[in-house]
Amino acid sequence: MKKLYILGLAVCGMAACKPNIEPKAPERGDADFSAYLAAGSSHTAGIMDGSYYLDGQMNSYPAMLGEAFNAVGGGNFKQPLVPGNHGWPIGKLILDYVQGPCDSTPRLAPRPFTGALDTTGTASNIYSSEGPFGNMGIPGSKVTDYLIPGYAMANPFAARMFKKAPTARAVDELLLPEHTFFTLWLGMNDVLDYATMGGDTAGPSKFRNKLTEQSNFRTAYDSVLNTLTRNGAKGVVMTIPDVLDMPFFNVIPANGLELNAKDANALNLAYNSTQVHFDVGMNYFVIEDPKQPTGFRQLVAGEKVRMDVPIDSIKCKGWGSKVPMPARYVITSDEVLAINNAIEGYNSSIIKLAASYKVAASDVRFFMRGVTDNGIQFNAADYSVKFVSGGIYSLDGIHFTGRGNALLANSVIGTINEYYGSSLPPIDVNRFSQVRLP
Amino acid sequence: MKKHFLLIGSLLFSSMVFGAGYQLNLQGMRQLAMGGTGVAVPWDASTIFYNPAGLTSIRNVQVYGSMNALMPRTRYVSAPTGTDIQDAAAKTYTPFNVYIGGPLAYKSPVSIGLGVYTPFGTGISWDDNWTGRYMVQSISLQTVFFQPTVSYQLTDEISVGAGFVYAIGNFDYTKALPLTNANGQEANAELTGKGHGVGYNLGIHIKANENVQFGINYRSQVNMKVKRGYARFSNIPSSVSSSFINTAFESSLPMPQVLSIGMGWQINENLKLQVDANYTGWAAYDTLSFDFENNTDKLDDIHSARRYRNTVTLRAGVHYTFRNDRWAGMLGTAYDPSPVREGFLGPDLPDAKRWLATGGLSFKISERLSAIGVVEYVFSEVRTGLSTENGFKGKYHTKVINPGLAITYDFN
Repeated sequence: MKKLYILGLAVCGMAACKPNIEPKAPERGDADFSAYLAAGSSHTAGIMDGSYYLDGQMNSYPAMLGEAFNAVGGGNFKQPLVPGNHGWPIGKLILDYVQGPCDSTPRLAPRPFTGALDTTGTASNIYSSEGPFGNMGIPGSKVTDYLIPGYAMANPFAARMFKKAPTARAVDELLLPEHTFFTLWLGMNDVLDYATMGGDTAGPSKFRNKLTEQSNFRTAYDSVLNTLTRNGAKGVVMTIPDVLDMPFFNVIPANGLELNAKDANALNLAYNSTQVHFDVGMNYFVIEDPKQPTGFRQLVAGEKVRMDVPIDSIKCKGWGSKVPMPARYVITSDEVLAINNAIEGYNSSIIKLAASYKVAASDVRFFMRGVTDNGIQFNAADYSVKFVSGGIYSLDGIHFTGRGNALLANSVIGTINEYYGSSLPPIDVNRFSQVRLP
Repeated sequence: MKKHFLLIGSLLFSSMVFGAGYQLNLQGMRQLAMGGTGVAVPWDASTIFYNPAGLTSIRNVQVYGSMNALMPRTRYVSAPTGTDIQDAAAKTYTPFNVYIGGPLAYKSPVSIGLGVYTPFGTGISWDDNWTGRYMVQSISLQTVFFQPTVSYQLTDEISVGAGFVYAIGNFDYTKALPLTNANGQEANAELTGKGHGVGYNLGIHIKANENVQFGINYRSQVNMKVKRGYARFSNIPSSVSSSFINTAFESSLPMPQVLSIGMGWQINENLKLQVDANYTGWAAYDTLSFDFENNTDKLDDIHSARRYRNTVTLRAGVHYTFRNDRWAGMLGTAYDPSPVREGFLGPDLPDAKRWLATGGLSFKISERLSAIGVVEYVFSEVRTGLSTENGFKGKYHTKVINPGLAITYDFN
């Protein structure tokens, strides 16, 4: 037995019994990937689970693209890394058992990390010590923000990595790392700020929640793209997905009010002689609506409830049943229409500008529609847009997990390969982060 | 309300897979050295496997023992470009055979014997964290067949033989599940089981003339039934632990029927040529099913399509006896197509059509004692495959080196 083995090893020591297939070296095609710049907002920066933390940054789609580009001459891709993994400036969301005052048993839900944050010194500017950065994703930034001088003074994420934080425009800071290739995924906040606030734009402090005017969007996007292509750099722009397909707007269904016969009867008596009516089983929530003579109405199919509506208020105070739910927690049909029209317009500008600047356009909207409708499979793991179990979205219901980012990165790589004739290999999605279950 | 807040969706075991062509054709070393031919020529007691009718040609009671050191080396390449190469662990498998048989009495037309051999088996083990871990981390299947045999010489030219087969087997299969617990560990499933089954082995041996002989052999399908296998889960997050409870299961796996015909031709005093054809009834492996005792919302019974196709293997070999009669040399080759259809190729056993090159030497140590040494080398096609069920694709290549050794001892 042992002798046989030794005999075999002796024979196998030679190349004779080693499989000799090797993949070909990837080719860069018409693009130069030696210096990569990622411009964008929170999705680009690596926000995950509602916060900014090291593992989220390491699992950002630009970090993955940076690694993929290494195979075709890409250089060191630098990110403005934060020190800790608890989140900055607020604790990240973790999945845990929580029990509200009106819960009979604990339920599984995201809750913010409540311990001391491990992010000392994160707010300090790190440009001089570590910059310039390849990942210039600025959480919270709209396209129009890129033209505002001193924007960083209002955005702590920008403030820590800009060279001239007090005065510079974000668009100028984009030129600091001398890049040869870029990705641009901007415009998400131009619609998300409105959508995640349930269309609540009233009051002077809420001006940022308005949908960006189409003409302002186009002008600002043109300016950013003009800057990014100035030195002959090539790149890819990414369209804006249908944000209302994100779990943030779908975890709580519009008809998520479950009633038994007794409660349904009691509520019907109370809402007597209005249009509000309840049945046993699932019912549409009651919301504030100033347009109605009564000041309230029930939701209709297609309307959305924000994931961050206080569940305790629904359970203890009867929000959506005894008391109309505040309008800001709801995306009404009118708002849904406004959001979808805005995305349509923004994407139309993005595609046209990409064509005029001769850069590739990766249609994230189309890609995410496919994922939403059919799910997506990678090496025997099934992914969907379902909250937590789907594997694509992190606990905030808006930003991706590492695996969601990797699926997106593969879609972008597909676009790059097609447009620039490169042959970058796909990213191994399953080695990146996913939601940790307690 | 609560119900809708957090639904964790179905995490099916999308596939539980055994290997592809899990047949081992290593039941006699002299036959292996001749490309696996051996239906027509009863060389030694290993004819109990190749053709039970041949046992009447063994003049003395003979004990035969052999073992191989099967060393498959498999590589997986995920994409046509890049750097992602995954090599399966370099493992050595040791299938063995033991035979004892001979005439009931001196010049009796009846011979009896017993064979204990390992006709089916497979194994591969990938890195625990490799990209295909949700399909398979490691798998092994072993079988041992016990075959009491009787053969009868009808005429000087024709013998018949029959054996009853009792088979035992075991398997072990591990894969990762796409669930990460609070400590960042990935969940894992292991399925283990023992199975058994029965079958038979029939043969006819014909000496057409001095120089030409024929053999026909039929080995029945053996269904290995696993009555009580066991599925164990580890690193399951406690919030979903009620969906992944260790459970017993039932399953079965067919060891396919094989019909072989062969011819042996004594070309001259020293040189013999053998050709064989084997028809293997792989189509029996249509669906792999696991029936779990405790199903949960995430653990359904599994019915995974395999859709194997029947194959015909062609073999040829030569045997050269040196003048002093103590030494003999063998060479052989075979073409062995794959039963795995396009769309069903997975990393659990990345099968491909293969060509065999074999050679060996036998040496008569004494009047009674002989030794046979053999080396088999398997070239297989580089196969680009897709497992449709899992969306897993890539390019596979396997090479096998397989030395073996047999000892025979004759009682007078």
